Amino acid sequence: MKSALSREHTAAAWLLRREEDGWSAGDGAQLEAWLDADPRNRIAFYRMQFGWQKVDRLAALREPGVPTRVHSSRRWWGRRGFGPGFAIAASLALGAIIVWQLGLLERHTYTTAVGARSEVPLADGTKIELNTDTRLRAEVNANSRTVWLENGEAYFDVAHDATRPFVVHGGTRDITVLGTKFSVRREGDRVEVVVVEGRVRVDDLSASPDRTMVITRGDIAVSQGVVLKVTHSEEHAVDELSWRRGMLTFNEMTLVDAAAEFNRYNHKQLVVVDPRAAGVHIGGSFDATNVEAFVRLLRQGFGLTVEEEGNVIRISR
Amino acid sequence: MIDEAILKNWFFTEIFPLDAALTRFIRRNWRNEADVADLRQDIYARIYASASERLPLQAKPFLYITARNHLINCAKRAKIVSFEHVADLDSLGFPHDAITPDRQLTAREELYRAQEGLNRLPPRCREVVMLRKIEGLSTRETSERLGVGIDTIEQQLVHGMRALVDFMLGGSGKIRRKAAKSRVSIKRKL
Repeated sequence: MKSALSREHTAAAWLLRREEDGWSAGDGAQLEAWLDADPRNRIAFYRMQFGWQKVDRLAALREPGVPTRVHSSRRWWGRRGFGPGFAIAASLALGAIIVWQLGLLERHTYTTAVGARSEVPLADGTKIELNTDTRLRAEVNANSRTVWLENGEAYFDVAHDATRPFVVHGGTRDITVLGTKFSVRREGDRVEVVVVEGRVRVDDLSASPDRTMVITRGDIAVSQGVVLKVTHSEEHAVDELSWRRGMLTFNEMTLVDAAAEFNRYNHKQLVVVDPRAAGVHIGGSFDATNVEAFVRLLRQGFGLTVEEEGNVIRISR
Repeated sequence: MIDEAILKNWFFTEIFPLDAALTRFIRRNWRNEADVADLRQDIYARIYASASERLPLQAKPFLYITARNHLINCAKRAKIVSFEHVADLDSLGFPHDAITPDRQLTAREELYRAQEGLNRLPPRCREVVMLRKIEGLSTRETSERLGVGIDTIEQQLVHGMRALVDFMLGGSGKIRRKAAKSRVSIKRKL
């Protein structure tokens, strides 16, 4: 019989392995099999995860003003150690404690209309930019920072504060920030995360046990239903965020997809009625709210037929 | 059947915060210290089995009853505990007195506790954990930074994680190397 301690050891090894960059679907299946093999495996894994999350508090020591009580151990490896972030000035300790106690409770709902954008600051210094037709709630308190993205898209520039984890809930996905800039877009159960800087952890709460993936700069994670797909392209990541300048950037996108993008920003809706027109590929940058200019391009540049009726623009070949 | 995500959440919010109290309870009522981790694990497995049918309304009394019954069964089966001892278990009194949860730590207290746990680690192990948790380095990055093999880093991290988790949950935070001999190695993908 396996002892609890050896089970614990295996659970710890799995947990660490799962945090690594190279974690694959195959690894996930292996872990799943191990968890299913014995409920004691599962419990050991959960318990380890529970405790390890508490150790996350250590991330607070990234902040220069937080007093550390950890003894330096640099000489043991014969290398230079941690850099200035760990040099602690005693005079800063007081400031850190005051900041901690300023964690005022704040909970707000923010919305934008179709075609609108807005930037909202949170009490902790985080900036959120809301894209078109977006609704989110944000709560900042002494222990945590939480955002619920109900619909739409938002860009987050998160202020460093590792004592208060920053978590974005998007349907069955939780996005936990490990200090970073990123965007989240939600349409029903489809959630897309684009990372501009730093690292972000995406937890799939619908899977059991929930799956975790850490994505970094230039990664784009798209999840829908049971699928979680990650691609890497810094260029594409930048394109995905051109809405922050009021632009849409298409990289050889089909007309159907491009029309769907425009429709998010405008009351005037593009409808591609002809399958031969639907497959036309579009590239370039466009003003998101200037649908007329885009339609002109389709007519003059691509020779497509455009019929406008009320708020609907029909496109065919 | 209870959905796995709900079950897990229930363990995280209701059961694991009582981990230190449960461990104390076992230790107080069981003679052999070496059995504590196994007993705790089996008690959790029993709780998991019942909770996956239906979530108990109140976690604490349920945990106590399960723990108590398990200890009595083990004592009877093993015949290593005197009859008086079992009787003691029976007369322990009300559930809410038997398992007394620790006060929930604030974020700052948890940070201090984690630092205290780090201080109890051997220096190399401590440094590897710090690079992971504070600087956010992966195993490979740590290995490159320190010029030490990935396997070594991984072993240090596993030891460090177990000791720290033990400490965060109210244990002594000591590294237990014995179990390492029977470790199951997980294939690494590079």
